[in-house]
Amino acid sequence: MTFRSHPIHCITPPHMLREIAARGSPAQREWALRTLVVSEQLRGQRLASFGVAALAAPVAAGKERVVYDAQNGSTLPGRQARGEGDPPTGDKAVDEAYDGAGATYDLYQQAYARNSIDGNGLRMDSTVHYQKGYDNAFWNGQQMVYGDGDEDLPEAERLFNRFTIAVDIIGHELTHGVTQYEAKLMYFDQPGALNESMSDVFGALVKQRLLGQTADQADWIIGQGLFTARVQGQGIRSMKAPGTAYDDPVLGKDPQPAHMRDYKNVPYDNGGVHINSGIPNHGFYVTAREIGGLAWEKAGRIWYVALRDKLQVRSDFQAAASLTYQTAGELFGAGSREQQAVRTGWAAVGLNVEAPQPQPEGCLPALLRLLSLSPRRG
Amino acid sequence: MRIQFERSGGFAGMRLTATIDTDALAPDEARELQALIEAAQFFDLPAVITATTPGADQFQYRLNVETAERRHTVEVGDAAAPDTLQPLLRKLTTLARSARGA
Repeated sequence: MTFRSHPIHCITPPHMLREIAARGSPAQREWALRTLVVSEQLRGQRLASFGVAALAAPVAAGKERVVYDAQNGSTLPGRQARGEGDPPTGDKAVDEAYDGAGATYDLYQQAYARNSIDGNGLRMDSTVHYQKGYDNAFWNGQQMVYGDGDEDLPEAERLFNRFTIAVDIIGHELTHGVTQYEAKLMYFDQPGALNESMSDVFGALVKQRLLGQTADQADWIIGQGLFTARVQGQGIRSMKAPGTAYDDPVLGKDPQPAHMRDYKNVPYDNGGVHINSGIPNHGFYVTAREIGGLAWEKAGRIWYVALRDKLQVRSDFQAAASLTYQTAGELFGAGSREQQAVRTGWAAVGLNVEAPQPQPEGCLPALLRLLSLSPRRG
Repeated sequence: MRIQFERSGGFAGMRLTATIDTDALAPDEARELQALIEAAQFFDLPAVITATTPGADQFQYRLNVETAERRHTVEVGDAAAPDTLQPLLRKLTTLARSARGA
């Protein structure tokens, strides 16, 4: 059996491999399916039951959720608490994780034709009641994990509620999965802050879509409802006014900058990924307000297509500005109102969408040339 | 023994810090911390312990411990922290949370 070997060593994104598997010549199909099988994503335990042949067929699986209960321990995923189609359990954290994952799936599927985290119907796993007094939520590379806040403290001292309480937090975590399968933005410095911003952007859009809000009507606050009444603050972050979300005697003040001139080069938080995300967050906010209407329809589409097709592991804020501007031109036309809104959005945070930057030919365009395929458009 | 503790990152991206002087603690608590540091084999840990697995919004820690004889700093993410280090991280987090805003 022949195996086509290539002089180019790169990681072809799964969506491109699936396109080749569906549309290529027999030799190209065989190569693409073989590459999919060995790709790291397919080593996940949830796909162990899929035969290679199944990948060539249209994926029937749609929204599939499982919520687990860690029962205040650290072992993941924990005991299954609710599966897809099961009725509400009455455990708020379980039911919120279930509903929030569903709402996030719905945004990606209905607005962007994306089938789950990996674009291929990957089951969405969530664990709740993680540890005790765990004031956090995270994505571990395979699933979402949520703590209960500081439920271990006396009521009068509590600062954080359970982390499933705000749907944008759920959308934020699930989007880390999407980014992991698409642009794979590294989680340090500017690419990491961009990664964080993508999660805030799509988390916010999940919430706005559930509430049926336009860009003007939305509050653009991330994590509203997470703080208890004891905290002086609206939420964790503000995309509308970074740095103003909270100012509390115990927790301190929201450290986010709203402009490149205030970028914080800090040694903690992987180079301040949760801090400097304020800059691209605000860029998206201004873009969405400029365009008006429902933010997920145009601004969100531009950002999604850029995340899926253009951004790369090391993309920084400048690259994001240029690539979203390019994407807007491709989707809505060069010189369109939408493209101009992207320019305005990034200018508001101190970035010029047309700043020159080195553009070496990427691995993927070179691979496509070799296979005589043209790149898929938005 | 003097411990400087910093937790950063996490979804909320907040910074939680504490400086603990074991001389100022109750003897039981000081002994507990000493035991946790020994169990973690803290002074033998690498200066930086990074996760090889993907992930996001996990806590990041920076721990500096100083005794009369020696001093060592470790930077580690929650996912990458060895099981032997986790109890120390939990204890220091609890102490830092109690002292927060004081």
